[in-house]
Amino acid sequence: MVDFLIGLFLASLIVALFTTRLYKLFLWYSINSLMLGMLALVIGKNIDDDAMIITGIITIIVKAIGIPYILKNLSQKFHFIRQITPEIKVQYAIMLIPAILVFTFYLSAPITSMINTNANYVAISISSLFLSLLLMIEHKDVASKIIGFLSIENSLFLLGISATNGMPMLVELGIFFDLLMAIVVINLLFHKEEMKI
Amino acid sequence: MLTFLLLPAIVMFGVSFSQNEKFKYFLAFISFVILWPIIELFLLPKPYNILSDYLVADKLDTYVLLVSSIVGIGVTLALLTLDKHVQVSPKAYRKFYRFFAVFWVGLIFSILSNHMGIYWIGLELATLSTVYMIKTNYTPATHKEAWNYMIVGAIAVSLILFGIILMYASAKPILGEDAMNFTLLLKHAKEIPSPFLFEMGFAITTVGMFVKMGFFPMNLWLANIERASFYPVAALFSGILESAVIVGFFRFSEIAMQVNYDHLFIFIFIYTILTIFIVAFLIFRAKDFMRLFSLSGVEHMALIVLFWVSGAPFAALLHFGAHAFLKPALFLSTGVLESNGKYKIAGALRGYKGKKGTLFWFLVSLFLLAIISLPPSPMFFSELYGFGAMINTAKQGDHILAMIGAILFLLVLLSIIFYRFVAIYQSMKYEGKEEEKTVYMSELLALIIFAISSISLLLPSTLTYLRSIS
Amino acid sequence: MILYLFSIVLLALIAPILLSYIKATKMVLLFKRPISVFQGYRNFAKLMHKETIISEETSAITTYAPFLVLSPLIVTMFFLPPIVHGGYYVSFVDAFTITGLISLSTFFLMLLGLDSASAFGGIGSSREAFISALVEPAMVLTLFSISLMAGNLGMGQAGVNLAEHFPKEHMASFLFAGISFFILLIAENGRIPIDNPETHLELTMVHEAMILDLSGVYLAIIETAASIKFVIFASLFASLFIPFGIEFSAPIAILIFIAKLFLIATLVAFLEVNTAKLRLFKIPNLLGLAIVFAFLSLITFYVLGA
Repeated sequence: MVDFLIGLFLASLIVALFTTRLYKLFLWYSINSLMLGMLALVIGKNIDDDAMIITGIITIIVKAIGIPYILKNLSQKFHFIRQITPEIKVQYAIMLIPAILVFTFYLSAPITSMINTNANYVAISISSLFLSLLLMIEHKDVASKIIGFLSIENSLFLLGISATNGMPMLVELGIFFDLLMAIVVINLLFHKEEMKI
Repeated sequence: MLTFLLLPAIVMFGVSFSQNEKFKYFLAFISFVILWPIIELFLLPKPYNILSDYLVADKLDTYVLLVSSIVGIGVTLALLTLDKHVQVSPKAYRKFYRFFAVFWVGLIFSILSNHMGIYWIGLELATLSTVYMIKTNYTPATHKEAWNYMIVGAIAVSLILFGIILMYASAKPILGEDAMNFTLLLKHAKEIPSPFLFEMGFAITTVGMFVKMGFFPMNLWLANIERASFYPVAALFSGILESAVIVGFFRFSEIAMQVNYDHLFIFIFIYTILTIFIVAFLIFRAKDFMRLFSLSGVEHMALIVLFWVSGAPFAALLHFGAHAFLKPALFLSTGVLESNGKYKIAGALRGYKGKKGTLFWFLVSLFLLAIISLPPSPMFFSELYGFGAMINTAKQGDHILAMIGAILFLLVLLSIIFYRFVAIYQSMKYEGKEEEKTVYMSELLALIIFAISSISLLLPSTLTYLRSIS
Repeated sequence: MILYLFSIVLLALIAPILLSYIKATKMVLLFKRPISVFQGYRNFAKLMHKETIISEETSAITTYAPFLVLSPLIVTMFFLPPIVHGGYYVSFVDAFTITGLISLSTFFLMLLGLDSASAFGGIGSSREAFISALVEPAMVLTLFSISLMAGNLGMGQAGVNLAEHFPKEHMASFLFAGISFFILLIAENGRIPIDNPETHLELTMVHEAMILDLSGVYLAIIETAASIKFVIFASLFASLFIPFGIEFSAPIAILIFIAKLFLIATLVAFLEVNTAKLRLFKIPNLLGLAIVFAFLSLITFYVLGA
């Protein structure tokens, strides 16, 4: 089950890389976060960790529902361009993405011998980190860059919950707090009408 | 203790909501309050637990906290006359104070933390609040740079967290939830079951920190942002934010040295030399004060990192202290220097009248000459000591020739920078037209504080304290 | 052996029903009165009665090609994984053979299009070549990866192995292969995001453009071939990616299998209703995704073992 959810997590990220529409990108991000939250719930239930279950619920509420909704509202309010063509052409992306995946999988291959459990999750988190960076690189517009940043956050969380079986509660709450702060700052940044003194 | 440390920032945050124009004078006085708990921290036996295990003051972070607080006081003083030098709306002015307060709180947490997670949370808080401080300057260029900062800064900070989680994962089997604790991690560094995982985490964290400080691939990033924003932002960056980042680097690398010293050394060595190589030529081409100082900040940060990993923490800390005092002073004085246009280097040091003016240009020339390590400056001693330590380290291995070659290369690069700064100084002093510029008391006070602090770095008692840290 | 032959006949019989079922489901979803699910048979009977006209401009290829389109597909049906427990199956046929046979059929279809008297045939053939060039690598990779997971390169044996011990430890790569294969299923059968089988609009048609000239018996053969191709893909998907239900006794197993086929058809119908057709030059995006997933599945299995 855990493998299945992680697979869907990575799959939704890869689909997001090929998306050319803004709202679809938000949708894939939301699915990505939903998988993350469900993963936290499943792992938390397996290892009987209440903190992780709370994290999972917060993730689903904030990241899978809240943030995409806010971003969609913002994009309607400030009239974003909704067609976002990736700068990297598809034919190159087809070669680049597998190359990144192979690189990161082999990068984390030595870990497999050191940690007996969950070495794969480290590999998938690192590859999703790199893919999120690619998502940021391949788009020029701000909204997709924000999604890229949020995907980095997601891959961090994946690493946190899958490789370490949950970080200390304090840190996780801090990360959520900072994420909300980031959304507030992003919201403030869009207000261009204050530009005149 | 913690209450008093955070008092100036919290008061600043609260007062920034009031419409009264007089509040800022009050803030300048209250900012001095922060010195009292720090002096107390110096006297207390170390390590002193401020907030159970999470915030611990040991010798290193007490020093860094002192340095950054002095910068904070100086910037608060200089902020009093921000509206005299640049166009700023009252609302934006208040917002600047508000986000400065958030920034300061975040970094106090960051510097004092003995916990990787709290360190990161503080850093992220500071990063996000900086975005708004940059945006107080309402120009399209600044708007773009604020976005730029938001995105690149967020990537850098995310990389740091990613590395932290990897390190946490590597040490969790032996330490459990305490694997985020710096001191415990340092104590058990040799027992980490998967050093590869730790090193990978360290490498990712380091790259994140280096991006934040403007190292190799992102050299011009910071310079552009500091150019586009108001000058106190740049002073805060070089004085407080980089202190927090570098203290994190010190802590992480202490552990990494225990895990595998050779890997760490080679990685940092190549990275910093590459950075200095590129930055030296960028400095040579710099056309305005902001970019010049910002790039020289990158160079000094690279030197500090290099000294630290080559086994000369004393040199690194001395250099760090000197840089953290001199650079904000220079950044703050750009407010006056650039009052007749951004790109006017020629004649920037001419046209000062009266006692205040004379004192100002005297201090600025001192700072300019000190930042390129002319002898009485603390930087001269730290560089001397640092290069000596690098050779000492190399003597123990069998790559002494390579090390001497690298040092010679570094000296060539540093002399390029030296040459450029001297040329700029001469152009400031002897070329160009004489145009009247005004200096205000508050800025002068800030500069005097910085001057006194950087001189006091050379006091024997300070040096003994710095030596005892390592 | 009888079960084996029976299952092939059953698949062949169910094929037209599936396509009509998709059409009917779509009509229900669009609030139209649905057609009967036996419409496929009616069309077939009607076409068999109709006169067959062959254009004077065409060469002999047009008379042979429809049979050559159908026959590789019929051969492929003999190689599919078994649908009941203990049934006979051909175990040695691997991913390359199945992909090759399907491409052979596509090749003759393209030849037929090029040979036709109208200019649309050429357009259709070129588009079909474009799509199938992108489909084939993904298809080989996907089938190869799933047979690695099953522990046997033969497709028939792989289906049996998957049903016996489902690769729980390879769930991630299984999922990626599944996503990739579903995209291929849609692409190869000319369903909506790639091609719309219901229109004859020259800007968009691919499959229909190639067979625009055909009539009577030949058209009936080609339409049968299309439905058989769909049933081949659907049954491969059902036995490789939904490998459950085979362990019951024969009648129940067959019923479950048919239910799975209809489930897939329903999925396709829902997808067709909910998506718009892609522009021709957007198709590489979708198929690139399939290639990436196929590759991802292979390397996830090979490097991570997950």
